Amino acid sequence: MKRDFFRKMGFGLGPDDKVPAEPVAWAESQVEAVPDLSWPGEIPTAKQLLDQRAHFVYTDRRVIRKKFKNDRRAYKEAKTQLRWETGQKYYESLEIAIRHHTALHSGAPVFERLWLFWHNHFAIAEKDLLASWNTGAYTREIIRPNMCGSFTDLVKAVTTSWTMIHHLDNSESIGPNSQRGKWRRQNGEVATVNENHARELLELHTVSPTAGYTQKDVIALSYIMAGWENRWSKTREECNPVKFNPKSHEPGNHEVMGKRYKQRGLSPKSKLIDVIEDLCAHPNCAEYVSTKLVRHFVTDEVTPDMVQPVIDAWRETDGHLPAVYKALIRVVYDHTGTHRKFLNPEVWFLQSVKLTDAPWPPPPSMMQYDFKTRPNKLQRRLRGLMFEIGHPVYRPKQPNGWPDTEAEWLSPELLIRRLAVAKRVAREHMPIGKLEASLASNFDKADEVIDYLKYCRDHPESWRSTSRDTQFLLPSEWMLKV
Amino acid sequence: MTVNRRDFLTACGSLTLLGSPVFNARAATLSKRNLVIIMLRGGMDGLTAVQPRDKAMERARPDILVEGTKKLTSDFNLHPRLETFHECWKEGTASVFHATSIPYTGRSHFDGQNLMETGAHVAYAEKTGWLGRGMDAAELQGLAASLPMPLLLRGSAELDNYYPTYMRLPHKTIMEKIQASYTPGSELEQVLRKIRHRPAAMLREAGDNEAHELALVAAQELSREDGPRIAVFDLDGFDTHAAQGGSDGEHGEQLNNYDRVLRVLKDNLGDAYNDTLILTLTEFGRKFEQNGGYGTEHGYGTAVLMAGGLVKKAEIHADWPGLKSKDLFEGQDLNATVDARSVYCAAMAACFDVDFAYMKRHAFWDEPLTDLTDSLFRV
Repeated sequence: MKRDFFRKMGFGLGPDDKVPAEPVAWAESQVEAVPDLSWPGEIPTAKQLLDQRAHFVYTDRRVIRKKFKNDRRAYKEAKTQLRWETGQKYYESLEIAIRHHTALHSGAPVFERLWLFWHNHFAIAEKDLLASWNTGAYTREIIRPNMCGSFTDLVKAVTTSWTMIHHLDNSESIGPNSQRGKWRRQNGEVATVNENHARELLELHTVSPTAGYTQKDVIALSYIMAGWENRWSKTREECNPVKFNPKSHEPGNHEVMGKRYKQRGLSPKSKLIDVIEDLCAHPNCAEYVSTKLVRHFVTDEVTPDMVQPVIDAWRETDGHLPAVYKALIRVVYDHTGTHRKFLNPEVWFLQSVKLTDAPWPPPPSMMQYDFKTRPNKLQRRLRGLMFEIGHPVYRPKQPNGWPDTEAEWLSPELLIRRLAVAKRVAREHMPIGKLEASLASNFDKADEVIDYLKYCRDHPESWRSTSRDTQFLLPSEWMLKV
Repeated sequence: MTVNRRDFLTACGSLTLLGSPVFNARAATLSKRNLVIIMLRGGMDGLTAVQPRDKAMERARPDILVEGTKKLTSDFNLHPRLETFHECWKEGTASVFHATSIPYTGRSHFDGQNLMETGAHVAYAEKTGWLGRGMDAAELQGLAASLPMPLLLRGSAELDNYYPTYMRLPHKTIMEKIQASYTPGSELEQVLRKIRHRPAAMLREAGDNEAHELALVAAQELSREDGPRIAVFDLDGFDTHAAQGGSDGEHGEQLNNYDRVLRVLKDNLGDAYNDTLILTLTEFGRKFEQNGGYGTEHGYGTAVLMAGGLVKKAEIHADWPGLKSKDLFEGQDLNATVDARSVYCAAMAACFDVDFAYMKRHAFWDEPLTDLTDSLFRV
């Protein structure tokens, strides 16, 4: 049995966890159905969070900017109060608590690793307050429930979600010959499509540039997508549910990658659904996404023979995700011990918590918030810690998400953060029996790890666990790479 | 207006021949030159920082006029909270490039900031930054004063980053032991080695004033003969839609943040200040007319503030487009008459001691930029 696999495919085993006898079967059993979020506290819905956002943007833009136009300090104060009232400085921390609690305690760590993977595949960059209210809810309500069906359904859900549409500006996309486009031109205003969403749907979410599409395809897809908007209203600004608006839609049948898309039925909105189905069935899509999966779990140096089984499963089942995951699990198991992957800061941190049984995240009782004052220090710490380790997960700088190779995660300052966090996690004393149990169930070369920890001690003969052992263990290469 | 189009063109008329690739060895024989980029995020208003003495300003911005400005030239005044900058100006180590912008006319922060860092025309299409490409071409190492590597620096192999943390680092003897778990010769081991050899100032926990701390460490590092030559800063908060205010307003507050960083750099670079260039970068300027909230909306043309001993002389460089409504971009914004990338390309050419054309080819895809090296910088 390969014990490193529990960390390669999940978050490792806790000191009190039983070692599964059949690792592959253990992993496969976790990917058939979507497990519940394990957070025992209240979980706000995406709708409630959108309401908070609506209240914030409306009050800021339409009320207090005007009210305090002459008084910078009063404006700042009013805005701070508004931030508290609407949880702007709170929800991101709560989302991290929900996410981390679920990752560690849902009982399906393999599924949870995949959840984090898909979030990063369909990343929402740090933009326009999305991290404050929307991105976390999007991972819970758009990505997670669609993880055990077909890839196509996942892409449909993501592409037509409020968060992705806002993130990639599709509400600003106006077909030049649409009704709205004509009105705008009559008023001397510009009316064009915004290509962002179409480009990323092709480049990042489905077929990738290897499919050989051109700028013409991007524009044609933008025409087809025009009309998928977050409805605007006077009192909520952009914070209304997604609605297909035929007035912005570019009329006509447009050709994407050699195929002309015609309207079926009464509404032209079906055209986007048809394109998504074709993009997801494209051979480059299976290849691109499978390669990304293998790169994430197995190694930076992906070879075609590693990816082939995943692609085969994809093709045999038309991208039925549980089948894809199972093929991936096999590949990961086969390469455990021979190929290692440098873990990103969040996964490394969660594994550190799991193996040392550290008290993280804080319980729901400590996440209670009054919406009147600044969130307390502990509540700020969740968000703060993600910043400190260089991986504020809801805030990648670009729509291509966080990097996934060692070279991009290995800067001096980022390594410093891991050393510093290890020191903090290590504050909790862990009895020797527990540490030894963790080492035995998580490492194929536990003896080597123990030898290293003994070497690190000033007096190797007094081998008993203290916080210092954890401090040496967590930033060691055994933990950073698996 | 004494700064007019004709003067400007004469000033920039020098011709640079296409040079052969230049080796880093050449740069090494000269005294070390530093380039510091301060990114002013949110859209810095060039018209607030460096104000044209034009009646049109009073008409367009009656409620956010800045009082107590300092005279720079017969045509321009400086915001009073740019005190250090003014001091540099008086010494002849500060200048301004006005009515410029990156070639981006949309008004989105996100696209604009992406483009100011990549130097490209299509947002998100390019995955490396112009400074990273320039450093790579000149084979130089840099220090980013930020935790994630800024997009601006991506593309360069020799990168180091620094950002103070409130967390405590383990003791150096502990790090030495941790290193024993790293595969000898691996990237991981080399990075830890680098950390262990950092000066103590870079290994302390952060105090209260982050910008100040960052600037201090950057100054110390840049002044070392074998230290990095490039440093990048990020300052936020220039997006003043409301209460932009006059002298005491929010935009002035942000300009003052920049000025404080400049102060710390100038005071702590020592002699290295003479061989340093400190440049600002922003995604766009702000609309000429104020809005209903006594702020300004996203605009286009703005100014680049330049300081340091490598500045040629105290001067306002501009192909001034004017502020009449027909002169404004889309009838609303200060126009940009020169591509700001020309300024940045020239800065790299001057600081890295490489030919402008060579730099343009490697960092900006040989796009038609104007060689401003000799007119702006002491080379």
